[in-house]
Amino acid sequence: MDLTQGFGARSGVVGPVTGLESLNFSDEFRHLVATMPPENTGGSFTALLEMPVTQAMELLHFTDSSSSQARTVTGDIAPTTLHPFGALTFPSNSLLLDRAARFSVIATEHNGNISGETANSLQSNSGANLDRVKAEPAETDSMVENQNQNYSSGKRKEREKKVKSSTNKTKSSVESDKLPYVHVRARRGQATDNHSLAERARREKINARMKLLQELVPGCDKIQGTALVLDEIINHVQSLQRQVEMLSMRLAAVNPRVDFNLDSILASENGSLMDGSFNGESYHQLQQWPFDGYHQPEWGREEDHHQANFSMGSATLHPNQVKMEL
Amino acid sequence: MNTYNMVKQRFIKKWINTLHMLDSSIEHPLNVTERKNAIRLSSDLAIAAARSGSTVWSRALISRSGNKTTNKPMARRILKKARNRMKNRCRTLRRNGNFTAKVGVRKRTELLKSLVPGGELIDDKDYLIRETLDYIVYLRAQVDVMRTVAAVDLVTGNLTNDRRNK
Repeated sequence: MDLTQGFGARSGVVGPVTGLESLNFSDEFRHLVATMPPENTGGSFTALLEMPVTQAMELLHFTDSSSSQARTVTGDIAPTTLHPFGALTFPSNSLLLDRAARFSVIATEHNGNISGETANSLQSNSGANLDRVKAEPAETDSMVENQNQNYSSGKRKEREKKVKSSTNKTKSSVESDKLPYVHVRARRGQATDNHSLAERARREKINARMKLLQELVPGCDKIQGTALVLDEIINHVQSLQRQVEMLSMRLAAVNPRVDFNLDSILASENGSLMDGSFNGESYHQLQQWPFDGYHQPEWGREEDHHQANFSMGSATLHPNQVKMEL
Repeated sequence: MNTYNMVKQRFIKKWINTLHMLDSSIEHPLNVTERKNAIRLSSDLAIAAARSGSTVWSRALISRSGNKTTNKPMARRILKKARNRMKNRCRTLRRNGNFTAKVGVRKRTELLKSLVPGGELIDDKDYLIRETLDYIVYLRAQVDVMRTVAAVDLVTGNLTNDRRNK
């Protein structure tokens, strides 16, 4: 992999420390599980590790999909079916996006720019994160918590490794209270000096990240080689941007004014956006409020006065109607 | 727990706000193309605002969109903060390590840099991929929401037309 540049140059204080560094985590934990019995009491997490990653993600997705907009994740696990986004052309489903979205939040909170909107348990810096995550009661969260803990401690481990990588004999890093030492075993025939160990660790990190990117971009798993993977990624980004362009043209053509009525979307989002099967939903909505088309201008005026409250208000009003109809 | 659905919800809320602000600040464009540009601009600002983190692409997108509008208070406010942060971030990003790039990979990374907003400022290939991953998530949210809105709008549009015709 020729993407290994730049890692050696980083000091302990790294500007862009995003959650994708936690990906290195899965590789090192495989080493960990292989080499020594884990000391942490997060039994469910180690059980999680022994599963393939996608299965673990499936379980996480169950907790996600079971939580509706009103509930937090501490709800019961009603085993809902996995929802592929209905009319999407992309074959990859929501759990990958959830995973990637989670990484993006980790990036947010770890860089210290905590947005007030995402009120989730990830939103603190590492230490407080662990405490808060521990307080989550439900058992369904235990896997999620452990994963969160391990993300944050993975980051800490990453930072410490960067500081110490040049001086360590083995690749063990003093971990937080959560995780034991991580040993990277050199395989047979591979060099064991500091540089190659560091290089190998870096390469594995990059590979892990590329793997995640491959999963996110559909059709990418079967391709070997960085150049082709980048090709796929580029095609994906280009197609998404083109779609945005076309969709905005379509929206402009349908609506005579720029601030079209998005409240219907807010109301229906729980049904249509989450499930992806929006055809039936929209039909139901039509039967309920056919007058909305007429009242559109009035709603637009109202929104000018109190935007935030209005959108939230309509959101609470309509989903009840929609749900009752269903 | 931040999930993809929450990403979409955040995007929707921001989009409503940006649409209203844009509509109040510009004169009513009669042209379809102008409307399309306004919608595209507002939704780009919305995903960047929904990201609301320290990613390069979000700040670059805000600054890029800010140049396209004349008076847009929200964009300006975000732009001021973003400009300062972006300067600092660019400095740290330009610590270049040694890397050997094969020709194909190099060309493709340059292409990717041109696609991802703010990608040209990123020298570290590893960080570029991180940014791309994040950007893809939000792009996907944008596409999903817009597709749903378009479908619902189409259906409600047909219904109002029927009622008017009756």
